[in-house]
Amino acid sequence: MPSEAMAAPTAVARPHRLHAFTLLFQAITIARAFLLPAIAAVLGSADDDVGRMITIGIGVLTVPALVLAIAKYATFRYRLNAAELVIDSGILVHRRRIIPVARIQNIDVQQTWLQRICGVAELRVETAGAERTEAVLSVLGRDVADALRAELLARRADAGAAPPEHAGPPVELLARLSVRDLAVAGATANEAGLVAAILAGGLQLLEDLTRRIPLPDLDPTRLAPATSGVGVALVAAAGLAALALAILVIGWVLSIAGAMIGYYGFTLERVGDELHKRYGLLGRRESSVPLRRVQAVRIEESLLRRPFGLAALKIETAGSAAGGRPRGGAEAFLPIVRVANVPALVESVLDGLDPAGVRIRPVDRLARRRLAIRYTAPVLFLTAALTPFFGTGWLLLLGLVPPGLFLADRGYRHRGWAVGDGFVIARNGFLNRITWIVPEHKIQTLHLRQTPFQRRHGLATLTVDTASGGRGEARVIDLAREDAEALLESLARRVAP
Amino acid sequence: MLLTSTLLAAGVGALLWTGTDAGITALALAATTACLAATGFLPAARYRAWSYQLRERDLVLRRGVLWHAVSVVPHSRIQHVDTRRGPLERWLGLARVVIYTAGSVGGALTIPGLAATDAEALRDHLATIGGGDDAV
Repeated sequence: MPSEAMAAPTAVARPHRLHAFTLLFQAITIARAFLLPAIAAVLGSADDDVGRMITIGIGVLTVPALVLAIAKYATFRYRLNAAELVIDSGILVHRRRIIPVARIQNIDVQQTWLQRICGVAELRVETAGAERTEAVLSVLGRDVADALRAELLARRADAGAAPPEHAGPPVELLARLSVRDLAVAGATANEAGLVAAILAGGLQLLEDLTRRIPLPDLDPTRLAPATSGVGVALVAAAGLAALALAILVIGWVLSIAGAMIGYYGFTLERVGDELHKRYGLLGRRESSVPLRRVQAVRIEESLLRRPFGLAALKIETAGSAAGGRPRGGAEAFLPIVRVANVPALVESVLDGLDPAGVRIRPVDRLARRRLAIRYTAPVLFLTAALTPFFGTGWLLLLGLVPPGLFLADRGYRHRGWAVGDGFVIARNGFLNRITWIVPEHKIQTLHLRQTPFQRRHGLATLTVDTASGGRGEARVIDLAREDAEALLESLARRVAP
Repeated sequence: MLLTSTLLAAGVGALLWTGTDAGITALALAATTACLAATGFLPAARYRAWSYQLRERDLVLRRGVLWHAVSVVPHSRIQHVDTRRGPLERWLGLARVVIYTAGSVGGALTIPGLAATDAEALRDHLATIGGGDDAV
């Protein structure tokens, strides 16, 4: 038990095995991989010799897989030394992995619903350098996993530059989401709700239309001969719309239920110099990120959430730097948050940086023209190309120009940037407005880019790159070239004073 | 260079292959001419556009003929530095310097077409002045 290891941290700790249920879960994995296809083969071709052969083949393959799993379990050992986690594994080739506790980025304790029933959990350890999760202890007893995580956290804090007072670090609750919050989060998670509402309106309109046209009663036996072509088309359209609506409503309800179950009991708190989050009803997730690993904060305000003053908050941490699969990225986040509460949260997460009083500045006015050209030029080009050959009906395409101009205007208005005391802000997007807040001292590289079109307008895009492994990057699009250059230079000076 | 030569080959191929249709032949001819012109013009333009500047606290790279880009890499953010040489570069006595940072977008930046000795000197210099605070 790790608790014994805690008692004598200086001595080389005793190695531990994984929980015996590891075998059970390995067996389940193997069963899923091998047996289910076999069963499917049996059911699919019961009277077929080939099917039976395949089944037997698959069945035979499970035996070595099971033996391998048992051998892996038998040879797997982990132990916690004073300042490192040591993992021995390997059946023929022995492998020892030593993870210095100070290098640990993130410790995750995860449970699927089945693991939850069995009282076991998976512990994942991530470091900055690795492209994948550095160590997976799957599975441990729940109590063992929790104790090991606590112990790793404590030792990492000791190994860090500024050890916290041992009276226990102060806990600051950043957010706790109620079931109602989560329902709102799910309801506004995607545009399904909005589309459903529009579709419902459309359906109502169609119903009104069909009612106004004198239709015979909709007895299917008499429907076909009696209705006019228009009536049938309308009924078919109404049916399709109703079906689409039903699918959307189901999707919407699932999205709400998914958020309520998946994020149940979502809690984000600051414990000393770390962010802890935990959530989940069936499966349970707990993780912690040291604040100094936070690279940037991203605020996502979708079109649907903006009217309600709601947003999602993503806290970007250092991911896999060297190529690799972008891991996590936003390892800490808040699925839903009131925009009014964001500045205080950001201040707490970015350790004192205060974005509350910063006024976001617009990008260059020419950006609007550039967007307008981008959104309308294809339409104009198509119209000009098609109309002479295929008739004036294609002039209807010009109807797309006003929406294009509208989108261009919105796109321009939602772009913005600001430089505050110790951080830079970049904002983009109309449908999903994303605001990046990047601390100066987390900037990795800076880039100024100009497309040929931007050069024509004397504009440039400034990209602020951080070590966040997540999607996207902080970009100030379409600044006047001189302004962009000045910003580039001033940020470069601040990064490396 | 590689792109233009590929296009050139495709153009010539199309020229030989579609000998019959006058319109297509004209198109292929035009494409080939354009590629020839590009082959004559682009490498020189790219070469002129490429520059690097080693400043007190950072390294500035400029590149691009149509799409301009300027990158600033603070010395402190350099993780490690490589030199690389392909077969063609070895034959020409050239090398590339590749600079790695922890950044997610500009994780690796390249300075191509340096004389091999210069590249090695630059690599060693960057390696000594680089690093210190990777901010990760």
